[in-house]
Amino acid sequence: MGTRVLETKAISATPYPLLGIREVPEVLEVCKLIDVSICIGCKACEVACQEWNDLPVSETYTHFGSYQTLPDLAHNFWNLIKFKELENKGKLLWTMAKYQCMHCEDPGCLRACPAPGAIVQYTNGIVDFVQENCIGCQFCVTGCPFNVPKISPKTQKVYKCTLCADRVESGLEPACIKACPTDCLHFGLKKDLVRMGLRRVKQLRDQGFENAILYDPPGVLGAHVIYVLPFGNRPEDYGLPRDPEVPATVNWWKGPLKLAGNIMMMGGVALALLHYLKFGPMELVEEKRRGAPGEKRRKTKE
Amino acid sequence: MKRGVKRKNKEIVRYTLWERVVHWSAALSFTYLMLTGLALYSPRLFWMASIFGGGTTVRVWHPFAGVVFSVALVLMSLSWARCMWLYPEDRQWLLNIWSYITHKEEGLPEAGRFNAGQKMLFWLMSFSGLLLLLSGIPLWFPHKFSWDVRLASILVHEIATLAAIGGIIVHVYMGTLAVPGSLGAMAKGKVTDLWAKTHHPRWYRRLRQKGLI
Repeated sequence: MGTRVLETKAISATPYPLLGIREVPEVLEVCKLIDVSICIGCKACEVACQEWNDLPVSETYTHFGSYQTLPDLAHNFWNLIKFKELENKGKLLWTMAKYQCMHCEDPGCLRACPAPGAIVQYTNGIVDFVQENCIGCQFCVTGCPFNVPKISPKTQKVYKCTLCADRVESGLEPACIKACPTDCLHFGLKKDLVRMGLRRVKQLRDQGFENAILYDPPGVLGAHVIYVLPFGNRPEDYGLPRDPEVPATVNWWKGPLKLAGNIMMMGGVALALLHYLKFGPMELVEEKRRGAPGEKRRKTKE
Repeated sequence: MKRGVKRKNKEIVRYTLWERVVHWSAALSFTYLMLTGLALYSPRLFWMASIFGGGTTVRVWHPFAGVVFSVALVLMSLSWARCMWLYPEDRQWLLNIWSYITHKEEGLPEAGRFNAGQKMLFWLMSFSGLLLLLSGIPLWFPHKFSWDVRLASILVHEIATLAAIGGIIVHVYMGTLAVPGSLGAMAKGKVTDLWAKTHHPRWYRRLRQKGLI
């Protein structure tokens, strides 16, 4: 959302070097930790997100049989607690997990984006959309393994969680973190939060949740939003994809296929011109006997 | 002799007005599609989007141009499918394509209204056009299609594009530099008697036999 003083690490559709020349002494990667085991589903984070980002309060859907506010994230709703009613060992298991942009280290959205500067990744790990550069093609929607970016039908631009880049830049924690009453949400440096998350995972395992894990998907080289999942063997139960990764198609499309295409197109034009220089244009042949009846009738040439 | 001279410069109708209208509709829409598509294909070519009004404008109009191209391609197929049909002698032509490329005529059967190379190009463009249309729809309305379909569409759209651009490079080269007179044929609709006899003797003979020229 606009130009920021934050140092950029990657910009969509920009093969040229980035502009930063400052020596950044230490890259401080920020991170959100969501400890699902102590989330009470109060939705304070949803409200805080709407408030801070000046997003309208949309009507609650009530017709899909869930406690969830909306069926999915929306262009004007970037933070959603997913509720699922499941069964575990014959007992009700009610899961609730906050869902938003994961701020991947290898963002599929940024890779897929064809508009220069529409998606920016800062050195602190935040992946942000710059709507004034967005062309509304929605390739990011297809490139994202978490199905996060959403297009606005009004502006035809794509929106998502900014990890409150504007607050983070000013040394504040994201609005959702600020609002959480149970300390299920934490914000800080990634290395600290990974340590904190692993400690909590160990605690959960000791308490009998033997499958508890720290969800930090390696398929996207890690994320800047990580989860403590008590039932880590079933991430789907929390609405999280199993083994998410940047789609191979996107890597093919932006990598080898593009190279092959460039070689083919430039080579094609070069070969055509070379052919002209070697063989020249096709000439009209009068004297050549081609057996056309018209030809035979006129033996004499002028 | 006098008669021969006259005959030689006589003009023969090669493309009707309708055929030319359809051809140039396809050509113009293809050019727009190719340039705007290339702008989104490579960031290094994004500057081409500015020529056509910027990224957003290009993103909005590209699919509509695709519809124009598809319609033109359907009309073209309707009027040409019969002349573009491949016959056994076309196999012979394609096997000896190298003689054609190197301007030797050995082993090349005489061409009818279109030679086998033109026919292959026509089918290449039609087939890739169909793939581009089919894969373009999920890219136009991504929310209506599943993730897998959208991912496959991206791949198909790119591969079909490269095939079509490959075809169009050959087509434009043949139509302008390589075979003088063919651009004029598509512009004015007429060729000279000698042109027809040189490049499409079987077609020429047929017209003569039918008494059309």
